[in-house]
Parts: sequence; C-alpha cells; structure tokens
Amino acid sequence: MPDRDAIFKRVRTSLLQSSGGAPLPDYDPSALVAKPRLTGAGLWENFAQNFGAVSGRPMTELGEVVSFLKSEGVSYGYCDLALCERFETVLDEIGIEIVSTYDRERYDDYQFGITRAAGAIAETGTVILTDSSTSDRLGALTPWIHIAVLPEACLIETVGEALASFDPDETTIIWATGPSKTADIEGILIEGVHGPGEQVCLLML
Amino acid sequence: MPNPIEQYARDLSEETREAVRKSGALTTGQRVEILQKDYEDPDALRRLAGEIKQHTIDHLDSYLEQAEASLTKAGAKVHFASDADSARQCVLGILQQSDVQRVVKSKSMATEEIHLNPFLEKQGIETVETDLGEFIIQIDEDTPSHIVRPIIHKKREEVAESFEKHGLGDYNTDPETITRRARVHLREKYMQSGAGITGGNFVSAESGRIVLVTNEGNARFSMAPNKVHIAVIGIEKIVPRDRDLAVFLNLLARSATAQQLTVYTQFIKGPRMPSQPSGPEEMHVVFLDNGRSQILGESCREILRCIRCGACQNVCPVYRHASGHAYRAVYGGPIGAVLSPLLGGKASFPEYADLPKASSLCGACREVCPVDIPIPDMLLKLRHKGKKQGVSTPGSFPMAPFATLATSPTAWRTAMTAARAMNYLPMKLAPIKPLRDWLGDRTLPKWRGGDFRRWLKTRKGNNADA
Amino acid sequence: MATQSIERAVNTEVQLMMTCLCDAFYAGVAEATVRVLEAAGCRVHVPEDQTCCGQPAFNGGDFESSRKIAQHTAKVFSGDLPIIVPSGSCAAMHLHGNGLQFENAPDEGQMGVRSLAKRTWEVCDFLVHGLGKTTWPGRLDRRVAIHDSCHTRGSGTGAAMRTLLGSIAGVELLEIGQAEQCCGFGGTFSVTFPHISTGMGTLKLDEVHAKRPDMLVSGDMSCLMHLNGLAENQERALPHCHAVEVLAEALG
Ligand code: SF4
Repeated sequence: MPDRDAIFKRVRTSLLQSSGGAPLPDYDPSALVAKPRLTGAGLWENFAQNFGAVSGRPMTELGEVVSFLKSEGVSYGYCDLALCERFETVLDEIGIEIVSTYDRERYDDYQFGITRAAGAIAETGTVILTDSSTSDRLGALTPWIHIAVLPEACLIETVGEALASFDPDETTIIWATGPSKTADIEGILIEGVHGPGEQVCLLML
Repeated sequence: MPNPIEQYARDLSEETREAVRKSGALTTGQRVEILQKDYEDPDALRRLAGEIKQHTIDHLDSYLEQAEASLTKAGAKVHFASDADSARQCVLGILQQSDVQRVVKSKSMATEEIHLNPFLEKQGIETVETDLGEFIIQIDEDTPSHIVRPIIHKKREEVAESFEKHGLGDYNTDPETITRRARVHLREKYMQSGAGITGGNFVSAESGRIVLVTNEGNARFSMAPNKVHIAVIGIEKIVPRDRDLAVFLNLLARSATAQQLTVYTQFIKGPRMPSQPSGPEEMHVVFLDNGRSQILGESCREILRCIRCGACQNVCPVYRHASGHAYRAVYGGPIGAVLSPLLGGKASFPEYADLPKASSLCGACREVCPVDIPIPDMLLKLRHKGKKQGVSTPGSFPMAPFATLATSPTAWRTAMTAARAMNYLPMKLAPIKPLRDWLGDRTLPKWRGGDFRRWLKTRKGNNADA
Repeated sequence: MATQSIERAVNTEVQLMMTCLCDAFYAGVAEATVRVLEAAGCRVHVPEDQTCCGQPAFNGGDFESSRKIAQHTAKVFSGDLPIIVPSGSCAAMHLHGNGLQFENAPDEGQMGVRSLAKRTWEVCDFLVHGLGKTTWPGRLDRRVAIHDSCHTRGSGTGAAMRTLLGSIAGVELLEIGQAEQCCGFGGTFSVTFPHISTGMGTLKLDEVHAKRPDMLVSGDMSCLMHLNGLAENQERALPHCHAVEVLAEALG
C-alpha cells in the first residue's frame, strides 16, 4: 500500500516542523455534564424531561403506548420477538397486528416498530440502540413510529458515563435523541425525515 | 478589479443575502444561549477541546496507526488515500469488487472535497445524496454553500420548482410536504442500493470507533439495508479515546445546531454483528490525506483541529453578506478562507490567496470556534505568505511607504500637519477608485493633524513633558 | 486579544500612546485621555517621536513593514512605564499582533518589542484593572449605547468601560443587539470591500438606533469614525464619542 506509507512519511516529516507537540490535557469529565439538565427527582424523571424537550414521548405504562398507537390510527407494525408476548394481546384487542419478522419487501407497510433499547442517557434524553439489543435495525428505523422498550436498570445519567460503558463487543452503537429531523429548508424544523417521526420510550420496570 | 468576494456580494440578490444573514444570526444566538444555559464556563470547554485536538494532530502518526490497528481488529478494512484521485479510485475499487451498481450517500464534506459523486456517476454507478439539503443540491446540480446547512442560499420556491421538474410531485412550497416527498423517494433508493457511503465526524484511536452524526437519520439508513459501508474520513478526524468524545459531541451539536446532541449519533467499528439481520457485512474506512499532511508541517496547522461545525460561518459578517459560494470552493466562510489556500498545496495557493483578505479580522470566528482555532491569526499569516510570495490580489495596498513615514518621526509630524490640506479637497475626486467608492458611502471627519501635540505644548496642565 | 491573563506593569507614571487616528483626526480624545489619567492621579508622558502601532501594514500581511514600525514604537516607548492607549485595537497590536509577527524571531531581532506586551493597556482597562478605579465622579443624564470594538474581545476593556461609565450618576447604559458583529471598518478592509463594509456598518447602525440612545460610545475611534461616516451619509448621525471623552466631560 504505497499511499499508506507515503502518508505516514509525510505526516512524520511534517511533525518534525512542529514544536514537540502539546500534551494530552488532563480534565475532569464532570465539567462536560450539563448540570441544569439533571435537576429532577431521579434518573427517569430527568430522562423524561430531556427526552420530551427533543419531542420524544416518555411513557411508563403499557396502556399509554396502546392508547398512543390507537390515537395514531395504526393497524400494522413490527415487533421484536422477545417483546411480542407483552404487546400481542393488548394490541390485538384493538385490532392492531404485529409481526416479528421484518420483511424488506414490505418496508413501507410497517407503521410502527417496537424494539429493545440497550440503554438511555438522562442528561440528553437519548435512547441507546445497539446491534445486539435491536432485533432488526430496519424495524427501528423505517416505521414512522419507533417504540424503544427500556429496562430501568439500563438508564445512565450522563454522556460521559455512556461513553465509558461502551461494550467492546458491540460494533454498532446508536444514540437516538428524539425523532429524526431537518431544518434544511429555510431553517424550518420538520420532524420525521428518513427515520421515525415519533420516538417513544417505554420504561420497563 | 474588485476582490472577487466583494464582487460576489454586490451581485448577490437581496433575498439570498437576507436568508443567509438571518440564518447566521439566528444560529449564532441559539448557540450562545444553549452553551450558557448548560455550562458555567463554555470557553474553558472550547479551550480544552482545542488542546485535545492539538495534541492529537501533534501526534498524528501514532494515533493514526492506533486507529488503523483498532479498526482492523474490529473487522473493518482500512485504506489510505494520498489525494482526491487515489480516494476516488479506492472507493470505486471497493464498489466494483462487491459488484455494486447503486450507492446512497450521507452528507460528507470529505467526499465533497474529492468530488466523488460526479466521478461515480461517470463510472455508471448511480449515486444518490440522502441528506435533504444535499439531495436538493444534487438534483439542482448546485454546490453546498454552508457546511451544516447546504442549501441555506435557496428559497423554498426554488426547491418546489426543482421537485416539480424532477417528477417528485406538483409544485408545492410547504417544507413539510417537500420533506415527506423526499422521504418517500429516498427510502426506495436506500432499499435498492448496494452500498452506503458516509463521512466520519470523529475516529477514536483507542477503540477504532468512527462517529457519525446526522439529524435526519440518513447515515443510519445508508447502512441498515446495505451490504457494504464505506466511510471516507480525513486523517485529522482522530481523537485519542472514547471518553474524549464527550468533549467533542457536546460542543459539536451545540455549536452547529444548538442541540445537546445531534439526533443520530452513531459509533461504528465494523460490520454488523452476526445476530443482526440488517446492516453491512463489510466496513471500509478510507483515510484521506489530500493536503492535510502538508498543512501539518506549516504554521497554520491548528486549522486541522476543525470539526466542521459551521459556527464560524454563521457568525462571520462577511460570510453573511457574501454567502458561501463567494468563496469559490467546498468550504466557505472563515474556515474556507484558511483551508482553501492550503488544501491544494503550493500549486493552488495563488488561486485562493485573496480569500484570507476577505475579513475585517474582527475575531468573531475565533470566539465561537469549538476547538479554539485562532482563525484571524491564520488569515494574517496567509496574507503574509501571499505578500512574501509576491502573489498579487485585488485590493492590496503597498505598505512600505507608510512604514517609512511611520519610522521617521519628523516626517510623520510634518505630514500630520500638512495633510490639513485634505480638508480643502473635494473628497469625491479622491484619486483611487476604491477610495472613491469608500467615500461614496462615508463622510470623513475633519482633519485635525497635530492639534493634540500643539495642545500639549500650550496647556497649563501638569503633564510631565510640557 | 486575550489580554486579561497577562500580568502587566502598573504605575501612576505612564506613557501615552495617542494613536495615529487621534494624531490626525481626534485630538479631543487624546486630550481627554490625558485629563482622565491625570484625574486618576497619573503623571502622563507623551513621547514626541511616536507615530503608529503598525497595524495597517500588519493587517495587510506586510510583516516586514509592520515589524519595522513596531521596533520604532518599542524604541520610542522604551523603559518600564505602562503604555496607555485610547484604543483597544492599537493595544491589541502590542498585546497580540506583535507576538504573531515576531513569532519565530529571536529576542535580539525584536529590539524591545516584546516588552510592549508587558506594559500596554487600553485606557479603561488600565483605570479599572490596573489602578483599581471602580467609580467615576460627576453627573451626566444620558442614555449611552456601547459599541464593543472587535479588538477588545476577551480583554478587560468591555467590563471596565461599563464599570466606569455606569458609575457616573445619571448615565444609563444600553447594550446593543448582536454585539459580537463587527462595525465593518477593519482598516483597509473597508476600502477593499466597500459594499460588504457598508452593509455591516448599516446593520450595526440599525442595532444602535433600535435602542434610541442619546449617544454612541466606544473604546475605538476607528469604529466610530466609520459608523459616523456612514450614518451621516444615511442622514441618521447621532452624537458619538470615545469613552474617555465621557469620563472627561463628567469631570466638568
Ligand atoms: S473552524 Fe472552528 S468554528 Fe469553523 S467550522 Fe471549524 S470547528 Fe467550526
């Protein structure tokens, strides 16, 4: 690989010109915490507050999710197999069907997707998705509504702690902070561009 | 001949100027607000970020090596490209090997820089930009005019027209309708393509994770349905450790769009996990040099700290008046005025040597830069470089006569008094064209050369030298 | 620019650097500076051979010329007395610009230039952060809009100016919108980029007038010269003066 060697050679030659090099500063990670965002009663309360501020919908009862889906008028969605048991009956009762295999051919038909979250960050209202927690990336991405089911124990307080707790085996970690959005046209905020337009997080006790 | 940026600003429609100015003013205000709301001392964080980045580029050889090793260990393939051509060939080679005919791309300044899209199209590979703004740029055959908001220069009416022209629906100026139409059109593209090409905002040397941020979710979507993921990333994008990302992610989102975090922030260090049904089976990282290693050896090396947040563009009064296209290159505004003359090496320096002059050196850019780049200092250094190399740019003034006067006190004092004559000259007849333009809009105060010196001598006060 | 952190000489015996702009146009500002410094208990020396800080050449990238001027200035202002300047811009040249243009020069080549950075103060910054003045006598019933000049970013001048002016009985300070925006002068910038410069100045004047001040005050006459020059042409001139002129007026 001639380019590799050439680049390293040029980099090293150039570095000879610089004055020795600045040291890596030591710093206190707590300086990076947005403390005013963490003044609530507990982790979930803080998360809910910040998640709501980015148009997310924090929920703690299964019933809330059910009535939200009902109000959105949906009838068909994708659901992680591991969560099907929990949702199947209640949704079936109001005529909403869920399937646990994501069929790429039908990507436009899923009106909602229910998957597991690997964690959440209270400070920023962020839902963490990983390859091993998400049953199918597309199921969490293509439907208009995404419902992330969050085990309470997976709540993390700060961005710094979330980074420190990265599982080295996970090749793909996604932080989703609210629904997908854009302000490209005249700076006007539109939610729901490529990914979900509604982001729900259901706390699982 | 006026400076090209001045000329561009003159010709710019009032509408576009207003759009750019308004957006700049709004985002500048929101940036300050969120930083002050969340942090006691945001400036300390900017300095910290600058120090970490400076440290990294000062040790780029070892961090780059470490990043390469970490990525390889995690199952990604790492490539290196010396220049734009080499990078394009590298990407093409990967695509051909996997027999990819269609590609979706998520917004990346590095691929803009190497003009990847037209190249791939020429090779018969359909290449679709998926960021809404970049998509509109692509169908309009336009170029982005802002790092973060590529179509800041466009009105919704123009977008409505192009959508109609390209069969994406009837004429409709409602941004929500436009966005929904793009959503429908582009998801088909995502699902039918073979590879997703992205940039990379950061690379952690420690873990090899590349960090990609988008608000729209298009980078996520460019990968999820595809077999191949290619990330083209400048070699300067490295940070030492995962934990340092807290510094940069917090500052990037707040500086760019006044958010705590960008909506989709992804950390990727290899292909999908075996248990995961969707996602790339191959991950390629192409580290792009394209002039960066040269800049590293020059006196403006701090510019390599840049994390492409666009805050300097938003705050810059010249950018606000002239718009990004005035800078004639991929990067506009203060960052472009420094980067463009440097990126192409010696050969293209003269072509862009006028850009560093397009600044009142007001320093607003430095004040907002999340990595504390002393941009005004670099503009000065580049002006000096231009002067030393004898590159003449429109609107340069010979300063040697002034220096002679300013180092000859007697002559100086005489000139101060003699120039009183100026009070009697009709100013509109000023001999130099630019000076005439200047005086067309302004009135000069009365010349009072030497008055203070006389006052000192005659007053009864107690000044020490009288 | 970042002048706050520098330890600088303090003394009640000072040297005044009047600036070329005051030498040529604004004698009143230089006079006011002398009166104000004297009222604060200083003895003021005004070296005769002073000319300019060299910034016009420096900004043009002609460091060869501007270094010569800086060396001349260093010679004229030798010694160890504080150098007081009624301009944040010229002060910044001493505090920051010289460091940049002599970045790689050995000490000998600088001929005392480095010492300028250890002694130079913008006048308001000196009164408050050097001499420790926090109040100013007198009374003026006036609504005063403050324009922070770009070269005082990160320095003590802005706070000092507000402390002093705000302590004068009757003065009401007005903060103008988008204060971080430049007035558009920038020396030769305004000549090379007249259209952009006029646009910048016009926006600044809009912000100033929006506050309906009785007068516009700044620590740099260059900004005020530019803004007033534009305002007169746009038929919306308003009284304007240097902060030290207000202080001097308050003295009576
Ligand atoms: S130079 Fe600084 S402010 Fe400008 S884009 Fe880069 S990081 Fe942002």
